[in-house]
Amino acid sequence: VSGVQSPLPLLHNAVSIMTPFLLAAIGGLFTELAGMLNIALEGLILVGSFFAVVFAGLTGSLLAGVLLGVAATLLVALLFGAASLYLEANVFITGLATNLLASGLTAVLALRLFGNKGVLRFALPGLPVLSLQGIPALRRIPVLGDLLLGHNVLVYVSWLVLALAALLIHRTPFGLRLRGAGLGRETLSSLGLKPKRYQLAAILISGLTCGLAGAALTLRLGAFVPNISGGRGWIALVVIYLGNKTPAGILAAALLFGLAESLANYAQGATNVPAELILAFPYLLTVVAMTLYSIWRFYRGRA
Amino acid sequence: VRRPRTLAELSAGTASLLLTLGAALLSAVLLILLLSRAPLTAIRYFFLGPFGSRYALGSLLSGAVPLVLTGLGMAVAFRSSVFNLGGEGQLYAGALSATVVMLALPGQSGYVGGAAALAVAVVTGAALAGLSGFLRMRWGTDELISSFLISAAVLRVVSFLITGPLSDPASNLQATRPIPAQYWLSGIFPPSRLSTSALFALVAAGLVFFLLYYTRTGYEMRMCGLNREFARYGGIDVSAYLLTPMLLSGALHGLAGGLSIMGTYHVAVKEFSAGLGWNGIAVALIAGSHPLAVLPAALFLAYIEAGAREAMLHSDVSLEIAAIVQAVIFFLVTARALARALRPRGVEARPGRGA
Repeated sequence: VSGVQSPLPLLHNAVSIMTPFLLAAIGGLFTELAGMLNIALEGLILVGSFFAVVFAGLTGSLLAGVLLGVAATLLVALLFGAASLYLEANVFITGLATNLLASGLTAVLALRLFGNKGVLRFALPGLPVLSLQGIPALRRIPVLGDLLLGHNVLVYVSWLVLALAALLIHRTPFGLRLRGAGLGRETLSSLGLKPKRYQLAAILISGLTCGLAGAALTLRLGAFVPNISGGRGWIALVVIYLGNKTPAGILAAALLFGLAESLANYAQGATNVPAELILAFPYLLTVVAMTLYSIWRFYRGRA
Repeated sequence: VRRPRTLAELSAGTASLLLTLGAALLSAVLLILLLSRAPLTAIRYFFLGPFGSRYALGSLLSGAVPLVLTGLGMAVAFRSSVFNLGGEGQLYAGALSATVVMLALPGQSGYVGGAAALAVAVVTGAALAGLSGFLRMRWGTDELISSFLISAAVLRVVSFLITGPLSDPASNLQATRPIPAQYWLSGIFPPSRLSTSALFALVAAGLVFFLLYYTRTGYEMRMCGLNREFARYGGIDVSAYLLTPMLLSGALHGLAGGLSIMGTYHVAVKEFSAGLGWNGIAVALIAGSHPLAVLPAALFLAYIEAGAREAMLHSDVSLEIAAIVQAVIFFLVTARALARALRPRGVEARPGRGA
């Protein structure tokens, strides 16, 4: 191990690594605004990550992998939504069901299709990197230009999704009604609207973004690792709170966790800290951040 | 975060419960038909395997022991309308702390050292869950998310300790040294591993039943579970009942961990606890959070696990079908629409719980 690393590669990495957190948190923001704590994010990411890389491997096309991975995630989200809204089951318990289904289904299918419950490797080209070098204006901005350029295409897709989500939530009747559904079902019912439809839409949107988040995890590696979602869905829930339930806030909070993971990756390579302890770090950081946030809210509420 | 007004009676009535359990067994059959190349053999082992030998039956029963304890832990939390999603970490940490105590007391008598080990396991579990309860009580931190996150971190730290500083160099398992033989709970159904830890589980079910229905604390916990606002108007210190049920829930998980080591494994093996936290939730939901109903519910879930294990051993089915079957239970067990559809005509629904 030689010398101190410049912080720039760490930050550049963090911008890339935050993508799954950001995408899952965007989807979770929709369900949160619609009045549901969506603990199924974790399982939905796992489903997306599995099917994206498996379909990409089977078809040889990254795009087909992303699309079919998202489609599979939408199906599972539909199941989650139907059980929660139309069978009127408790949303935490159906969320647990979704997470269990995801880890069981991916393990069973991996064994059945590939005879292997461990790491599944696929011969895939890497995700295309958008250099965006053609935009000289961007390149000329010091530091920021370096941070924003040269990521894979799904990183930029996630920013596009964030912008679309912000528009949808704050600038359309759909967004207004969605937030209305979150205030209480009576609010929308009194307007002659069906609140469950808006809640189902929110769950499906979370399926879409978690599918993309999963694809971002496995297509970058060209491999599926059991339980590769690794708590990102849970962390995304905390990202939503830390980001004060706004798209801009979520971006900032996701970057914080991207940076933490980037640092953890660096520590794993550069130090002798055992892997298990490094794996515990994101959870500890998240619970500390969450506690500080609730303390801040507690005292602000009193003042 | 909006939560249901009451989590106390999450599961939705006998008819829909039977339908849920039936659907779970049916899904096991369907999964095997889809996945197995020899489905009839696999189905036979799934359903009959657990009764096929003394050993298999004893394994089913001994598998139910931790499920009774974790199920009781979750039932206590649900009855008071708090969520403990950290059961697995509490159990795993309880198991390791008990193991460390027993390894540190090689010359102690089995009763004294064993009691000390179980006490430490109980305190460890209670402290971990209690931390989430305390944060909720003091600053309103969501205990559902914090208990999961703390447990997730603890799982990794305990795994590190088991495979690192506390590992047994002489063993090729990823495990600690075995506990001294005087701490092994005696087997009661040889050759299986069913041990006297089953008696602890039965006594615990009785004690939790007594606590909830025959003591003031239990009454106040249940009142908070039914309606926190109403309980507050009734003069109950409701904030204390965010902490107490978490402490109890964690204590029962820690006890389950300590007993698993003393009764079944005799060493702390890496990740032996995988899934036990979620199973406890399934048991409590099937039991409608009633401490005595936890016993048959734990047996049912242990049967599914044992069936999946038998099917895996004797055919080409993988163990994870148990997770999918459990997911089916979770999807249906709290479904109110299902309960309403199955309720006899003329019977009014109970006042609503938010979704």
